[in-house]
Amino acid sequence: MQNTLYVPGNSWVHRLDPVSKILLTVVGLVLTFVLPGHLLPALLLAAMLVLLGTAGVLRRVWAVFAGVALIAITFFVVQGLVYAGNATPALTLGPLTFYREGLLLGLRLTFRLYNILASTLILILTTRPSDLVESLVRRGLPSRFGYVIIAVLQIIPIMVEAAGRITDAQRSRGMETEGSLWVRMRAFIPLMGPLVTSSLIATEERALALEVRGFASNRKPTFLNDETIPSYAWPVRIAALAVLLLGIAGRVMLS
Amino acid sequence: MSVIKVENLRYRYPRQTELALDGISFTVEPGEFVGIVGPNKAGKSTLCQALVGLVPHFYKGAIGGRVEVAGLDVHATPVAEVSRKAGIVFQSPFTQMSGAKFSVYEEVAFGLERAGIPREEMLRRIEWALRLLGLWELRDRNPFALSGGQMQRLAIASVLVMQPEVLILDEPTSQLDPAGTSEVFAAVTDLCRQGMTVVMAEHKVDRIAARADKVLVLDRGQVLAWGPPGVVFSREGLEGRGVAVPPVTVAARELGWQEPGGTYPVTVEAAVRIGGAALGRDQG
Repeated sequence: MQNTLYVPGNSWVHRLDPVSKILLTVVGLVLTFVLPGHLLPALLLAAMLVLLGTAGVLRRVWAVFAGVALIAITFFVVQGLVYAGNATPALTLGPLTFYREGLLLGLRLTFRLYNILASTLILILTTRPSDLVESLVRRGLPSRFGYVIIAVLQIIPIMVEAAGRITDAQRSRGMETEGSLWVRMRAFIPLMGPLVTSSLIATEERALALEVRGFASNRKPTFLNDETIPSYAWPVRIAALAVLLLGIAGRVMLS
Repeated sequence: MSVIKVENLRYRYPRQTELALDGISFTVEPGEFVGIVGPNKAGKSTLCQALVGLVPHFYKGAIGGRVEVAGLDVHATPVAEVSRKAGIVFQSPFTQMSGAKFSVYEEVAFGLERAGIPREEMLRRIEWALRLLGLWELRDRNPFALSGGQMQRLAIASVLVMQPEVLILDEPTSQLDPAGTSEVFAAVTDLCRQGMTVVMAEHKVDRIAARADKVLVLDRGQVLAWGPPGVVFSREGLEGRGVAVPPVTVAARELGWQEPGGTYPVTVEAAVRIGGAALGRDQG
C-alpha cells in the first residue's frame, strides 16, 4: 500500500542525493519559463527525457505524459481556434479553421506542460518520499512538518480503503451504491459521516501512539539511514547551475 | 523495590462529573506480569494511560494521588521522557503505525530516531526487537501490508526498541482473531520470561489468569480485587458486577474442585489435576 510514483532502482539518478535532484528540478522549471521559441524548449525536453531514460523510468514517464495528453490537445484546439493573435489560416476541418499563430502558441504551452512534468518527475520517480523528507529535515525543515508531508502519502490509501469498507457495510444493509451517476452521488453523502468520524478517531489514536514513541521529544533526532552523497553530485550541481545561468543569460541577451 | 507505585490515584476527564479512576493503589515488582480486568468503562484503559502520563498530559482533566514508574513521577514528567521507561501498546494495531515509514525495519526505528539514539545502537536494537517478536523475515514489508497479529507484534517491537523497564498493553488483542491473539500472548509471555515487567489490560480473562502473577480487577474506576489470579477469581460476586471469570474457574466452583489453599483453579491444567485427584478420591 504505497501512494507514491517512486520507481525503485539503482541508476546514477536514483543514487544522486535528494538535494541535487531538487536542484535539477528547479533548474528544469526555471528554464521552462525562461527559454524562448520552440527549439530550445524542445531541446530541454529532450535533455530531460535522456536523464529520465538513464534512470530507467521512461515507462512511468510515458504513462504520466499520456495522462495529460488531453490538456495538450486542448491547448492546440483552443489556441488554434480562438487565440487573439490568429491571422494565418493553417488547417480547415469542416467549419473549423485552425490558425498558425494559435497552433504555435499551443505547441509552446505543450512544451511547458511536458517540461514542468519531466522536471518534476526526475525528483519524484527516482526519490523515495521518506528519503526526500529526511534530507530536508537534516537541513532544518521542522520534523513535525516533515512528518505531515510523508504521512499524507500513506494516509490517503488508508482512507480509500476505509471508504471501501464503509461502502461495503452500507451495501450489505441494502443501500444502493452502484448505478447511474445520480445513484453514486447520493451514496457519497452517507459515506462522508462515518469516514470523517472514523478518520478523526484514528487520528487521535495515532497522535497518542506518536506521543508515547517520543514524537514530542526535544532531543536532537538521529537518522536510521546515513546520507550518502555520491562523488558526482557536485559536478552535477555545478553543471545544472551553469546550464541555468546560460539559459538566463541567453534570454537576457535576446531581449 | 517496586517498579510501579500507584497511590490513591483519582482522575476525572474534562467536562465529566464522575471519576474515571477513584482511589486506585497498588504496586508492581520488577519482572511481574500484572493483568487488569473488569467490565467496559471500568477504567482499564484510563489506568494504562495514567501509567505512561497520557493521563493527564494528553487528556488533561483533574488528577490526584501519585503515579511513580521506574523512579519517575509520571505527573511531573513529559510523556516523551516517560516513554523511555514505560512503553505502551494500544488496542488498534493499525493506528499505532507511524504512517511515515515504508518498511517494518524503518517503522521500528521511528522512536529511536526521535530519541536521538546513535545509529549503531539503533541497528543493534532494531535487529534484537524484530528477532524477539519474530518479525525479522518481514523487515522489508510495508507495515500496512502485515496481518493484524503481525502489525500488533510490530507495535510491541516499536515500543521494545526503546528498552523500557515496563511494558503496558491496553487490550492489545481486542481487534485480533484467535491466531493473532495467540501470537501476541506468546510474544508477551516470552518477554516476561526474559524479566520484562508487563501490565496488560485485557478482556480475555482465561489467558490472563493462565499467565499473570497478579490480577487487578477494576469496576467503575475502583479496585474490586487485587492479588494472585487464583485468589482473585475465586472471590464470590465478581460475575454479578460484570467481571468475567475464567470458564474453567466457574466450572471448578460448581464442581467444588478446590486447590489446597481454598482457591479454585484458573487453568485447564490445574483443573484437570485437581479434578483428577477429586475423582480418584471419590472412586476410592
